[in-house]
Amino acid sequence: MSPLVFVAALFATSVVAGGAGAVLGLGGGILLIPILTLFFGMDLHYAMGASIVSVIATSSGAAAAYLRTSLSNVRIGLFLALATVSGAMLGAALAGVVPIRVLQLLLGLALAYSTVTTLRQLRVELPEPVEADPLALRFGLEGTYYDAVLDRDVKYRATRVAQGFSAMFGAGLLSGLLGIGSGAFKVLAMDHFMRLPMKVSTATSNFMIGITSAASAGIYFARGDIHPVLAAPVAVGVLVGAAAGTRLMARLRNSTIRKAFLPVLGWLAVSMILRGLGIGLP
Amino acid sequence: MSAPARVERLIARVLLLGGLLSVSLMLGGLIVYAAQGRPEAREIVRVVKNREAGRAVDVFTSLGDVRRALAQRPPDPLAVTALGLVGLLVTPVLGVAAASVTFWRAGDRDYAAIAGVVLGMLLLSFALAAGG
Repeated sequence: MSPLVFVAALFATSVVAGGAGAVLGLGGGILLIPILTLFFGMDLHYAMGASIVSVIATSSGAAAAYLRTSLSNVRIGLFLALATVSGAMLGAALAGVVPIRVLQLLLGLALAYSTVTTLRQLRVELPEPVEADPLALRFGLEGTYYDAVLDRDVKYRATRVAQGFSAMFGAGLLSGLLGIGSGAFKVLAMDHFMRLPMKVSTATSNFMIGITSAASAGIYFARGDIHPVLAAPVAVGVLVGAAAGTRLMARLRNSTIRKAFLPVLGWLAVSMILRGLGIGLP
Repeated sequence: MSAPARVERLIARVLLLGGLLSVSLMLGGLIVYAAQGRPEAREIVRVVKNREAGRAVDVFTSLGDVRRALAQRPPDPLAVTALGLVGLLVTPVLGVAAASVTFWRAGDRDYAAIAGVVLGMLLLSFALAAGG
């Protein structure tokens, strides 16, 4: 493959990953690392460096749009960022000393858990009204957004904030360890534990992944894992894809987003577990 | 406009402008790098599979590296790309800083403090990275 074709393929892949990431709140990193390593043969550390940059690019592109339409909840995002950023700092510090196959196996197992959790809630459009949580009341973890598909304002309030906060620390830890935004886990924590609407969960995740990833990105940069020729086309492609993804997301049902989320998670879970176990894929 | 709405608008603006400026720098640097036709550019497909080969050639690991490469005449185009990458990495930090200031001005001390703590942790992580 010539260098120009290589960079063009990298850019095109990143556009798709950015679009999917913006819709699903994943940041694109969880999709990009396996693709960059499996199909582009990229060294895992470079793939992780490019991924962490792509996560911030997705966040910048998608969150800017979601914040303007109130789909991202800035209070919930900042409150939970306390947990994710501290987790990310610890994870990034540990990443250089954990063997690659252990990282792959960890990622695969975490994805498998996400798949099962998502399957259980596949048809849920909006969560049932929830009990008032003292922390949610104290910190104003609630909001309203206009749902274009339902054609009405949707009010929501977070519940089980302590569990959500703990899950967010774990999400941050994975982000630092694996070079992903761990958006899937953030979405699951907000959707499953805190019972926020799926769209608010993915949009707020998009806002948060940039903050979490920034905490570990400096460490990846200093370690020499961010190669400009590889990371730049990925960042630009992801930003373009994310801008398109935000327009698409507004037109989708919450349950549709959840259904789209599922096969991606399942496939990635299997492929990463196999690689972590040392079983090569065709 | 309510305080959260003001903060949302401001953060959205910071993220958008930061992203666009960073992408412009990255693209500009990459285009010049490709146009120069350096031998190492032709080796990129091999380099991606071997991190040690890449580290020796093109990778910047500190702001000092980037600054020195930018100070060359003519400046190293990959340093311009790296500067764009650094810009992208600090964009969310600027968004959090803007949120902290805006919440404070609106009298929401709780969220000004929360954003301030998040900002502090981000700056600490950058300082730790810079310190090796």
